[in-house]
Amino acid sequence: MGNLTSETLLIIDLASGEISEEMIEDEFYKEHVGGAAANLALYKKYQDEDPIVLGTGLLAGTLVPGSSLSVITAKSPRTGKVCHAPVNLYGGIELKYTGFDFVVIKGASEKPVYLWLHDQVADVSEADEYWGLDVWETTDKMRVGLGEDLIQVLAIGKAGENASPLAQVNLNYWATGDQWGFGGLFGQKKIKAIAMRGMGMFDMDDEDAFLKNALGVLNEFKNSPLASKKGIAEIGAEIGEDIAGWLEPLTHRHSACFNTPVAFNTFLKFDDDPKILKETDVEEPGILLTNIYDILGFKNLGMSVEDAARVLQACMKYGIDPVAVAELSQKAGKKSLDEIKGSFSELSGDVAATGKGTLSPCTPLKPLFHDAGSEGQASDWWEKRQAVAYICGIQHFFILMAPFLSDEKLLEFINQGTGLEITADVLNKAVAAVISG
Amino acid sequence: MALKIEPLKCIECGACELACGYHWDRAFSPITSSIMTYRTREKKNYFGLILKEEENLILGRPEGVEVQRIGAVEEGVEADASAKPIMLREGCDLCDGFDNLLCVQYCPTGAMYQE
Repeated sequence: MGNLTSETLLIIDLASGEISEEMIEDEFYKEHVGGAAANLALYKKYQDEDPIVLGTGLLAGTLVPGSSLSVITAKSPRTGKVCHAPVNLYGGIELKYTGFDFVVIKGASEKPVYLWLHDQVADVSEADEYWGLDVWETTDKMRVGLGEDLIQVLAIGKAGENASPLAQVNLNYWATGDQWGFGGLFGQKKIKAIAMRGMGMFDMDDEDAFLKNALGVLNEFKNSPLASKKGIAEIGAEIGEDIAGWLEPLTHRHSACFNTPVAFNTFLKFDDDPKILKETDVEEPGILLTNIYDILGFKNLGMSVEDAARVLQACMKYGIDPVAVAELSQKAGKKSLDEIKGSFSELSGDVAATGKGTLSPCTPLKPLFHDAGSEGQASDWWEKRQAVAYICGIQHFFILMAPFLSDEKLLEFINQGTGLEITADVLNKAVAAVISG
Repeated sequence: MALKIEPLKCIECGACELACGYHWDRAFSPITSSIMTYRTREKKNYFGLILKEEENLILGRPEGVEVQRIGAVEEGVEADASAKPIMLREGCDLCDGFDNLLCVQYCPTGAMYQE
């Protein structure tokens, strides 16, 4: 085990069933830093075998505020480019704590399989009993079968099983920033799910400096206007979409991704009273909204918040990108809950919202709750900030809100944590590589 | 000195777990933490905090804070599954050896405080 890393690369060959591990040398981190840039380097190394690469950032799973992110990197079935999708909530750090910094999944399986990563052990098992289940059923069954409710599950539903380019890899029950069709790629490779649970441990090179620095950043946050913000509607207001009143009747509680100090995930309850805080017998009362664009498209179709939330729940269960569903439904003239829910298997076509970049367009393309000064006006500001987040392991919405998490500050953390003396030049090159693909 | 919980201020971020794990292991390792986010009812968005003390389990749930004496759960009542992982861990020692309670320091919302 190294500082802030497990120093371990896991390689899974789905065609042969072979599983191997390689130790990652310091030189690899010194060249690629981690996260999306390291994933990209591994993708290129194994590109002849059409790999899917999962990777964590050096700061993921640490006390640096916002340290929640891991990344899926693969060739997008939708755009043909090598792209990166964020893994958040507790999924990103659970990958890191499994003891594998990076996982390369190459080739394709003949039969449905699932991967179980835990405590530096990797298993590939037949998934016949899961194939055909929706995303929610898969997560529930997997948690029961593997014996713990805290297991994090990257899963596909029917859309992924059908290898649809609109399919999404979901996390547990919820939609993700996979707007690349990675769910369809999982389906092509017959990967039903990747379950993760870790008991790992990470040292730091200079723990006193690292922790003092983390506390300093947290206190900057606490003393900033950002500390009073909560709920996804606040992000809506930042992009000119006033959805607070529309969401309010269903709004339950707000929550955060791992070690992210602002609660911008909003739970909407439509099958239970959203004002009741105690636990009730309703097993599936609603949905967790982690990205404003997931529901905005349905609002713009003229749907009520309840219908929009219900269609979003259906997307999550089917494992299909809700942003794409809203856009293609609008083009097809479908505007009602039943029409849209009934058309998932027929939807096809180009999705403008996918964009042409390599980083998920799931976050607003601007600074949030601050103007970022003159840098914030630059056309590449968003891409550079997102790339840094995806490389270092920082929550991709939070980095748009947090001027106190500058590139220099993140490098300071990395070097205090690892002792590797990674330079700004190296980080800049990693950022450029991630953006260019 | 005592550690108090305000569960409705909790945003389920888990910073307290990591801070507490550091207290025990001098490394990032939430698995040894004496405090856990209560998040096994994910589909219901039902979350809060569980604190293990030497003799008590403090359940900080949305409807309020409940103190259960460890080992004194009423016969026939199944212990809350959310509490199981923490039962084998050390009880909170109020950060013995540190100047401040780490979970309080790293909590962004004041869901925990020192009294």
